[in-house]
Amino acid sequence: MRIIEHLAHFFIPRHTNNHRAKLLHSSTLIYLIVILIYYQLTIQFIARSGFKVLGYAANISTNDVARLINEERKKVGLMPLTINESLQKAAYQKGEDMVTKGYWAHVAPDGTEPWKFFKDVGYRYQFAGENLARDFPDAASAIKAWMDSPNHKDNILSSKYKETGVAVVEGRIAGLDTTVIVEFFGKKFADIAPLIPVASAKTTGEAVLSQENSSPVKTNIVVSPFNITRNLSMALITVILGTLVVDGIIVSRRKIVRVAGRTIAHAAFLGMILIFALIIRSGSIL
Amino acid sequence: MKRMTKHLPHYISLIGILGAGVTGFIIFSHDRQFQGAVSIALASGYVAWGVIHHYLHKDLYVSVVIEYLVIATLGLVIIFSLIFRA
Repeated sequence: MRIIEHLAHFFIPRHTNNHRAKLLHSSTLIYLIVILIYYQLTIQFIARSGFKVLGYAANISTNDVARLINEERKKVGLMPLTINESLQKAAYQKGEDMVTKGYWAHVAPDGTEPWKFFKDVGYRYQFAGENLARDFPDAASAIKAWMDSPNHKDNILSSKYKETGVAVVEGRIAGLDTTVIVEFFGKKFADIAPLIPVASAKTTGEAVLSQENSSPVKTNIVVSPFNITRNLSMALITVILGTLVVDGIIVSRRKIVRVAGRTIAHAAFLGMILIFALIIRSGSIL
Repeated sequence: MKRMTKHLPHYISLIGILGAGVTGFIIFSHDRQFQGAVSIALASGYVAWGVIHHYLHKDLYVSVVIEYLVIATLGLVIIFSLIFRA
């Protein structure tokens, strides 16, 4: 019985809560804000403490990335990019460099630029480009994120590039187990022989990728910090929205006069936050 | 409902502000900095709307302003924890 009284006090406007659900009181909401901030700090602490419990599960194959990129090019009438083994190797080295040194950027903290990896494998380029993605659950969502970004889309749909190399690398960045996708784009100097002969430069992507590194990368992650944060946030907003609706209906029917903000305005704002939480995706691109 | 009809232009402007924010959030889904800026602008606009609305309605009190500020902050904390997460 006391539990029901407590619940009613918390969710229904009545004399015990000054005719406004206790959950909607500014003091209660401030407590919730403090708890959310504390929760975020805890997540950050766990990520940096070395406990391997947080990260992003992925199921990505280099085959899928290359195929989807060429499908996008095909849609706009461009020739597909051919997979170049040297570029594959360069992309893999870039991914390894990021997880080894623990950075997430085009240029490493020590100043190493992406073009160094092209040169290291003997790829003499006329044009070169790089797209990076991390924390995506699959190849399709990573490609969609690139296509939504004008700069990354320019790389994918550029007629300047003729070849590509894709690598999917697992490792830890900023304390989180993650999966990084590196895609290099390039066009070699036609009249200059590469420093290292690339025998399969003209081999199609599928053919090369089916021989090596085509199996999906699956990480052994237990908890995605993004998913738990999103689910927790959405549950909290939904509870507050429900309480606002109940509170608004009861106050309106009982014709209670009180000093408070507009229920409809609060519901509209929190509804928008709910939409934002649904829109935001787990991965990030560079 | 009668009060809502009376202040319909107020609510239409609020929906307009929030709708523009959602549109910007979707269009610039690749740009986290922009999404963060949109969220701050929307939260500020929401608080400003509340202050102006209650001032015109002649029921503007400090506790009401605090209520709008707290809800705006709650929304921002949630969005920022998703945009700039671990």
